[in-house]
Amino acid sequence: MSQKVISAEKRAFMTGNEVVAWAALAAGAEIMYGYPITPQNEIMHYWTRLAPKYGRSFLQTEDELSAGFTTAGGVMAGRKAFTATSGPGNTLMQEPMSMAEMMRLPTVVVVQQRGGPSTATVIYSQQEVTLTTIGGNGEGMRIVYSTATHQELFDYTIKAFNAAWKYRFPTFVLGDGYQAKMREPLTIYDPAERGIGMVPPEPFVGKEGIPGEDRPPAQYRNTFNLEEELYEKVMADVSEYEKIAPEVAEFQADGTEDADLVLVCHGVVFRAVREAVAKLREQGRKVGYFRPVTLRPLPVRQLREMVGKAKKILLVESAYGQLARLFKEAAYGSGTEILTLFRPGLGITAGEVEAKVKEILT
Amino acid sequence: MAELTRIVLAGEGGQGVQTVAEILAEAANEEGKQALYIPNFGVEQRGGVSVAYVQISDRQIGAPKFQTGDIVIALSDRAVHRTQKYVGPQTTFVYDSTIQGLEGELPENAGEVLPIPAVEVAKKEFHPRVFNIIILGAVVGASGVITLEQAKAAVEKRLGYKFTKQPELRDLNFRALERGAGMAVRRAG
Repeated sequence: MSQKVISAEKRAFMTGNEVVAWAALAAGAEIMYGYPITPQNEIMHYWTRLAPKYGRSFLQTEDELSAGFTTAGGVMAGRKAFTATSGPGNTLMQEPMSMAEMMRLPTVVVVQQRGGPSTATVIYSQQEVTLTTIGGNGEGMRIVYSTATHQELFDYTIKAFNAAWKYRFPTFVLGDGYQAKMREPLTIYDPAERGIGMVPPEPFVGKEGIPGEDRPPAQYRNTFNLEEELYEKVMADVSEYEKIAPEVAEFQADGTEDADLVLVCHGVVFRAVREAVAKLREQGRKVGYFRPVTLRPLPVRQLREMVGKAKKILLVESAYGQLARLFKEAAYGSGTEILTLFRPGLGITAGEVEAKVKEILT
Repeated sequence: MAELTRIVLAGEGGQGVQTVAEILAEAANEEGKQALYIPNFGVEQRGGVSVAYVQISDRQIGAPKFQTGDIVIALSDRAVHRTQKYVGPQTTFVYDSTIQGLEGELPENAGEVLPIPAVEVAKKEFHPRVFNIIILGAVVGASGVITLEQAKAAVEKRLGYKFTKQPELRDLNFRALERGAGMAVRRAG
């Protein structure tokens, strides 16, 4: 287990799925549970190739329900466990992740979004935002990182394990089919070499001592008899989630101070937006961008500050308003005009963004 | 070299466009450039037009897909149709002149159209199996994103284990690469 996965920092050129497998290894993940679905398959493939070399394990389950529940079981046994899925698999994953939310289990799920609804395409979308952030029959007490580059895929997969084990809320890395399949350079490293300490896992069950005397009893329930009892439990989680939200929330912004128009986006679409904003700035247009890295929790304070100053907002996403719904809820009360560029299941290029901005700012 | 070069490669499954794209992107990365390669992929396992998108730059690269390519290479009649939308006034459109029945099908808005007899040359002068290496040469010749020497190093890295067993293959591949590069020299230079 203590064997170093990455001895020295190095530049790599690989697919996003391979990046996730390396990051999970570097983060000290001990076991992956999974069921194949495009476009995340290669996470499993690379993991099964690499894991035995470092004494890690893999279990292929019969479906995503099982992959989710075994991941929950793995963390209860005190193992850093994770799974990866996409599309219809993510739909099934909601049932076990609801249980993880209820029992406060530090599960890590990597989602490579594909087109929806249903089987749709195996290619790409940003249509799993609602599902990943607030899916399941609960209150969406989850942490969701939406990545844009291979470097972020590596960094945030490592971070996801720490966030999960520190805060004990189910944690997700939200990628997409483009990120899964494309190749680009990144630097892979051992977290310790960068001064990143990994939160050690600990078992939830089978602990030493007498419950109630030496330690609190291990009561991990997902069933309640009384409304009041459930209310108390959910409200305690909500209040803890709201308390940690400001320190978990991350974002990236530029040029928002004097902007006539601020573009809001997340994930891989940010690449097109950043490119378009740089070009438009060169042409003397006052535009900026605001990109939440965490979609749950959103960086609400900074988002509201930005909206308060912005003249207009343009929401850009490869879905029909899934980021927009989260954004508008957080921005509620502001009179700033919100415009949209929605391309459900379709990639967005910098050229399209630039054209749309020019149409708005004529 | 321009700051950012965008390349679209399209052909029938099995023609090796994804391999060419991968070798090209890896070679550029080896040279310390920023490179991004993404294949198109669908539910079909076989058949259909295979398209690869490659971007090579000195700076950080934006969206993985794009609207217009600087170099668009089509290796079958279906690929010629499929890639029309990536062609603009700045595009060098390269196609295999062995393809029959393309009268009136070639993009009229391209900056330059370059026919290359790659299939024929592969068959007559080399071996059908080096067809994709000829195409790699053509991409290098038309785009200049890496040098011929760098392309050779990339081919060596990829096929070196075969060359060790059969040294004559190295010569065959390198000559195919040079021949391909020579076929696709743009008028503009």
